[in-house]
Amino acid sequence: MSHLHIPDGVLPVVVWGPGLLVALLLLVASARSLRGVTRQRVAYQGALGALVLAVMAVEVPLGPLEYHLALLGPVGVLLGAAATFQVAFVASAILALVGHGGLTVVGLNALVLGAGGALARPVYKLLARRFPAAGSMAGGTAVAQAVSGALWLAVVALGVRAGHPGAARLGLFAGVAFPMWIVGILVESAVAFGIARFVVRVRPDLLPAALPAGGSS
Amino acid sequence: MINTLAQIDYLASAGRTPWHRASALSKLLLALGLVLLAVFAPSLRLLFGLYAVAWLLALTSRLPWRLTLAASCYPIAFALLFLLARWDGTVETPARLLLRPLTASLTAVWLVGTTPYPDLFAPLSRVLPRSVGDGLFLTYRAFFELVVRIGGLWRALRLRGGTSGPARRRLTQAGEGFGTLVLYGFERSQRLYATLLLRGHGGRICGCRHYADWSRFDLLVAGAGLVVAAGAALMWRMP
Repeated sequence: MSHLHIPDGVLPVVVWGPGLLVALLLLVASARSLRGVTRQRVAYQGALGALVLAVMAVEVPLGPLEYHLALLGPVGVLLGAAATFQVAFVASAILALVGHGGLTVVGLNALVLGAGGALARPVYKLLARRFPAAGSMAGGTAVAQAVSGALWLAVVALGVRAGHPGAARLGLFAGVAFPMWIVGILVESAVAFGIARFVVRVRPDLLPAALPAGGSS
Repeated sequence: MINTLAQIDYLASAGRTPWHRASALSKLLLALGLVLLAVFAPSLRLLFGLYAVAWLLALTSRLPWRLTLAASCYPIAFALLFLLARWDGTVETPARLLLRPLTASLTAVWLVGTTPYPDLFAPLSRVLPRSVGDGLFLTYRAFFELVVRIGGLWRALRLRGGTSGPARRRLTQAGEGFGTLVLYGFERSQRLYATLLLRGHGGRICGCRHYADWSRFDLLVAGAGLVVAAGAALMWRMP
């Protein structure tokens, strides 16, 4: 649900303007923090960004529903916060260029996707001290998805209220969106569990190490 | 979405209309102007006018109308959510809520359908941080390759019974399949890095340098921009 990309013109400028500014500042900050990474790492980041875009286009049948994955949680665990934010920005920008999501709201869309993804690795590291990698990846993804979904709901609610305070039917909106949020958390966590179960068998070095006992980040 | 994107990508390179021959930078500026006008325009007539201009651009670029419609109607689902939440019994509010995103997405589809991606990303990569600019090229290039692999993976899962059984098992199995793509992505990045080194990669993917090569076709883009600006000035205060 967090990757149901917000299009142009439905949110007031007081919502998307600051979002674009914050996203650009975070983009510069992430580029500074990734200054020392190898070119191979940038290529790996690009490949995982493409995976995010590709899975967004695939429909996963769930009974009467068809769910579109985002995989920002697993990508967040594999790449870390700064690179994941860049992946979210690039994915949002490419999608906006083909009419999926808005050009003026690229910043907000990237913030919504990137904020969750950025939390995935710290949560994974924390959980990996006690649990196997697959469970920890699922936990990190659940948190990532919950945060992204909650941010998406907050942005939309803010947009609805800021535009037309009198006419807003937030209850109706929340009633539709909340079950989708829960489904999103469950589906993404189950898929992340499978990804980690495979990666830990064949290339465990791709996963980050757990926090040492008593570590802080 | 995959087929739509693949077709648009093909048309951007194969098209021979004057819009295709105009420089990427001029089209980018025109598209940006149209999107910003659609977002800020208070007048419903102006919004209708901008939507008509966007269709005119798309059709004169010989983009198939069905493909254009399919690609540009994606925002409707999201706009409907807002429409429900903001319903005030008038026609104007839903019309504005639909026309703004539709005009913007149609303009984006016209831009991408007339501009090959190296030309389109080149000016963007010059204003974005290096890793993000490179990410645009690398992500887009890898996308079509991964889509084909996901298609194969999905078929394999179906044939081996991976799409039956409880949802939890199906999703975990799909996850293991995506795990193979993570691994593929890692190995692909190693090969790509080696290729870049062999080709004398200088630390930045710049894309083509023709994005700002002005030609007589840019006069058409400038003319369209002037018409849009004049129309916007005239209709800005209309209902």
